Amino acid sequence: MAIKLIGNYAKRLGLPGYSSHQFSVSVETELTDSGDIQGEAARIYHLLQDAVDREIQTVGFVPGDEYGLSNGSAHSGPSPNGNGNGSNGHWSCSDKQKELILKLVTEHDLDRDVVEEIALDRFGSGVKALNKLQASGLIGELIELANTTPRNGSKPRSSNGRNGHRASNGKGGRS
Amino acid sequence: MIAATLPALAPPSDPESGPLDYVSASRLKCWQECRLKFYFRYVERISSPTNPALFVGKAVHHVLQQWNLARWRGEPADAETLKPGFSSYWEKEQADEKIDWSGKEEEHRQKSWTMLEHYFEHTPIPLEEKPQAVEVIVDRDLEAHGLPLLRGVIDLVRAGGCIVDFKTSARTPDQKLAGHLHETQLTTYALLYREATGEEESGFELQFLIKTKQPKLIVTSLPPAKPDQVRRFLHLMESLVEGVEREDFIPSPGLQCGYCDYQTQCQSWR
Repeated sequence: MAIKLIGNYAKRLGLPGYSSHQFSVSVETELTDSGDIQGEAARIYHLLQDAVDREIQTVGFVPGDEYGLSNGSAHSGPSPNGNGNGSNGHWSCSDKQKELILKLVTEHDLDRDVVEEIALDRFGSGVKALNKLQASGLIGELIELANTTPRNGSKPRSSNGRNGHRASNGKGGRS
Repeated sequence: MIAATLPALAPPSDPESGPLDYVSASRLKCWQECRLKFYFRYVERISSPTNPALFVGKAVHHVLQQWNLARWRGEPADAETLKPGFSSYWEKEQADEKIDWSGKEEEHRQKSWTMLEHYFEHTPIPLEEKPQAVEVIVDRDLEAHGLPLLRGVIDLVRAGGCIVDFKTSARTPDQKLAGHLHETQLTTYALLYREATGEEESGFELQFLIKTKQPKLIVTSLPPAKPDQVRRFLHLMESLVEGVEREDFIPSPGLQCGYCDYQTQCQSWR
């Protein structure tokens, strides 16, 4: 009667970024000498372990610390917009920021050249090229501009004591 | 204020928001301090009175914001120019807050201004240095990670990407502990900054304005957030989300109870 020896060796190792990888090798063999099952099992065990250990050293793709934090992609730059809806007409900020900038310009009849000028002056880039951080700063400026120049789109005034959109209740307070 | 009509960008402290509508450094810190306090503040939304120290902090932040905006816009940014803004802020805001000054309002006011004057004299930031950002509200969508929106207001980003946070304190802080004590807040800013710019911050500066008789300015510089700190931060966010979902609002008795606004409610907790 033929005696079968079935062996399986599996190893799972942790990797950075909450990930892990595992590899297993199985073998099925027919024993010719039924008197040396223990020796044959040991031989297969070492054979399989060697095979797994050799292969599992190839780690392959390892996610970075920020993998999955932004729309499931492992990009290193800012996501093109805030909600993953794809193109927002080549604006670098989020869709919501773009919408808000355009709304402020339209509703308060702001001069687009003035808005572009503010962006260039503060950030050295045009409105569409502003990243999310810069766009947030521009929105604060536009809200103040809209508050002080309601319907004529004139140049921003120079004065102090502003208390516009930039949240005076946001810091030193409870959010 | 116009922002009220612009729902696309909610204000940073939205009293109507639910505990998991967004997560901020303040919410996380409150969660770390005491889950029951978090419950009273963000679930029950029990408002607490503004105390003198909190008001002084807000007034100082306001003036520093104006100082940074003025530098950003290339306008005059000296103490003399900023003082009227400080005075009008103090008068207008404190009238709305019903603060119990215990007869020491003028003393607090004077101390606040002296502290600011000291800052303008000793600030490590050159007047001509143009900020990268001033008091910006930044969001980060963490939905893909199964977490709520992360929101923060960054006081200042200096040229070169150094994130600055201004703090007022009655005592000189332990500089060795500063990084640990403020890790949650600084990692929040790091994640927001990286998402908003696509770049890593160059580091952090905690600028402490100390309210001692002779005011002091202590600047603690810290390196960019490390991967381990980001991992700890994500664990903390997970803890908050899971804890709120299973209503795990246990109290954490300790020294912090001495200045907690919810002592009365806490006593009746069952």
